[in-house]
Amino acid sequence: MLPRVFVTGVGVVSSIGLGREAFYRSLESGRSGISPVASFDASQLGRDFAGEVKEFDARDHLTNAERRRMGRCSSMAVAAARMALRDAGLQERQLAGRRTAVVLGTTMGEATILGELEHDWIVGGVGAVRRSLIPKYGSTLLPIHVARAVGAEGMVLTLPAACAAGNYAIGFASDLIRGGRADVVVTGAAELIQELQFSGFVRLAAMAPQKCQPFDLNRQGLILGEGAGLLVLESEAHAVRRGAQVRAEVGGYGLSCDAYHITRPHPDAAGSIAAMRAAIERSAISPADVDFINAHGTGTKHNDAAETKVVHELFGDRRVPISSMKSMLGHCMGAASALEAIGCVFTLETGTYPPTIGYETPDPECDVHVVANAAQRGKADVVVNNSLAFGGYNAVAVFARPGVLPPAGAP
Amino acid sequence: MKPCAVTGFGVACPFGVGRAAFLDAARAGGSATPRSAQASQRATLQSFDASAYPGARVVEVPGFDPAKYLGDKGLRSLDRLTKLLVVAARLALHDSGLKRDGAWADGAAETSGIVVSNAYGSLEAITELDRVSLLEDARYINPSRFPLTVANSAAGYASIWEELRAVNVSVSDGNCGSLDAAACAEVLLDQGRARALLVGGAEAMSEALFLAFHKLGASEGGALLGEGAALLVLETPDSARARGASVAGEIVGYGTSFVPPEREAALVHPSPEAMARAIESALSDADVPAGAIGAVVSGVSGLRAFDEAELSAIGRVLGPEIPVVAPKLALGETLGAGGAMGMLSALALMQGAAQFPHARGPAAAPPRDTPRSVLVTSLGYYGNASAVVMRSPNTGR
Repeated sequence: MLPRVFVTGVGVVSSIGLGREAFYRSLESGRSGISPVASFDASQLGRDFAGEVKEFDARDHLTNAERRRMGRCSSMAVAAARMALRDAGLQERQLAGRRTAVVLGTTMGEATILGELEHDWIVGGVGAVRRSLIPKYGSTLLPIHVARAVGAEGMVLTLPAACAAGNYAIGFASDLIRGGRADVVVTGAAELIQELQFSGFVRLAAMAPQKCQPFDLNRQGLILGEGAGLLVLESEAHAVRRGAQVRAEVGGYGLSCDAYHITRPHPDAAGSIAAMRAAIERSAISPADVDFINAHGTGTKHNDAAETKVVHELFGDRRVPISSMKSMLGHCMGAASALEAIGCVFTLETGTYPPTIGYETPDPECDVHVVANAAQRGKADVVVNNSLAFGGYNAVAVFARPGVLPPAGAP
Repeated sequence: MKPCAVTGFGVACPFGVGRAAFLDAARAGGSATPRSAQASQRATLQSFDASAYPGARVVEVPGFDPAKYLGDKGLRSLDRLTKLLVVAARLALHDSGLKRDGAWADGAAETSGIVVSNAYGSLEAITELDRVSLLEDARYINPSRFPLTVANSAAGYASIWEELRAVNVSVSDGNCGSLDAAACAEVLLDQGRARALLVGGAEAMSEALFLAFHKLGASEGGALLGEGAALLVLETPDSARARGASVAGEIVGYGTSFVPPEREAALVHPSPEAMARAIESALSDADVPAGAIGAVVSGVSGLRAFDEAELSAIGRVLGPEIPVVAPKLALGETLGAGGAMGMLSALALMQGAAQFPHARGPAAAPPRDTPRSVLVTSLGYYGNASAVVMRSPNTGR
């Protein structure tokens, strides 16, 4: 029998609230975090809305020395890690030791540090490049800073799996615990909006003007978002030993690669279907046991149609409730599926499905049971967190109320 | 960990492209590299004009010609990082017999995947778009080049080009990433998420990468910046046996550790403690006593503080007599690919007659005998370290 893996704490830095309680309240009320871009001048780009995190002040969460040695993406990750630790009832540095690992996802990590370095160099020349900034760049740094903050001395690893990175990280973190390589893993993902990425999505004609409307007939694309969602995962034995409050259980997860197109999902969604099927099978349950789907739901034509095919293929005529938190948060790229995983924990803890806000006109091509505009109450024993990403990546994770899933056998 | 069989490899590095180029250069004591290093100071590099940086210590994949391996079609939209990785992937699949003449041997596309480490992404593509954005107008950036700026882009393209439909995992842990990729791969194989995995790393030369090294004083200190992609084909020993694949060696243990600096404001941190712990836990994971290790392939690269920390940890755990080689003194620091180049170097040592630069002196001093078990180490820049134990095929524990 493999050890069960529990979520015992969550930490959130998001455009709809800092910390678990504020985040849960916003998910319940359907608050939008999307607003005009303030961190750079987007006025000439043709698009100027995003889900920027505007109420986060690193000074509230980090020491001066910490702030000096890290960029904003790591700051959000460290702040969320601290919140997750507190939420789990763990004292900072109580985790000190080699049995604690940190596995984080991201797309670009410290993209603003790189942006500054590139600006120095391209505009000012080689002499203008600030030497002190160089060591602060690199997605490698996110788990380094988090490990240092929480006292972890085991594996530190970044999985830059683009927009599926949160599920990748949580999945691999659960493997480390099931495989006996760690007792506790601080995991999740962090991402920030940087000008170059913003411009790139505009140029891909993938960005909506002001609203992200997943599954809506008139959806116009995605809205970028940012934030950090971190979770404390523990082995059952470790959680029981210290009397931890268990918020959710991490079930199986599924991965696949379309090997089709670098940005678009495969139109027949075969890879995405395989990943969701694997996640459900690896949880030793059947599709009939799934109560709710936390969708990838980016609001682009291609994504939402492909995702609908997955739902139809897996669940047939059963209209499983589905919702996209990106309608509230925007697409937080690497952090998206981590924040959505925390949304899954919210659903399991409260029996509430978060709404897809801004849903106006059903699309026959997206014939799914959308939790439209207002949160709904319902059965919440097993939920599925879906994600797709650049590179043809598909990653799906199952979360459940503790004790609901059959015990995990050997693979 | 459960042993993973190495059934082939593909490489594009400063020694050249492909198995023979790597092993021949290894047998010749890495002599290919000094030649290309000298050349790079006289001739123009492929990736950037180094003439503005007198004394630049850079090696590239010599005369890299991806069209020779991939054909002409579709290359224009790819960056150097992707081309290096796809070439290594194609060569590895053919080397292992999983593919023949471009076709999967037995429909293995669905059960084959890739786990690849990269430290800094495509600085080439990011710089290209930033130049347009900063010097012209952000509205003119080329949308077809934009996906290249995403960190897992090269891995995604490798799956598209080589039809790898099982897992595709990108890993980032600086110069330790390739060794961590091996640990990830073991988990994925053990869980049956793939039958064969291409495992390793890739890093491409670019002016931005060189400039970062240069600004931090690495060139002055004598470190050589390299580039390349190296992928090992890993399978469970059962799966390798079942298809009659020849096994070049096995990965049998992995360890990692993180020890932060004591000084609150410090960030960069060569930690002998982390390196020693990673080695100890790799040996314990492999269930191999320190005395059974015949040689160490270190990450020694010419950055003095890091080299000293790594060598002191190796000496502390394995004793002062252990032979330690430093392929990076010939191949250059290849960052995300460094550990994979190290694992290939370990395979070369276990085949005998390989002569890599010795880490403790200027002379190339090979291990006394052909080692049966080799430790591969990487010391990260921030207090992190990883280590892997490899052994010859059919070596009892």
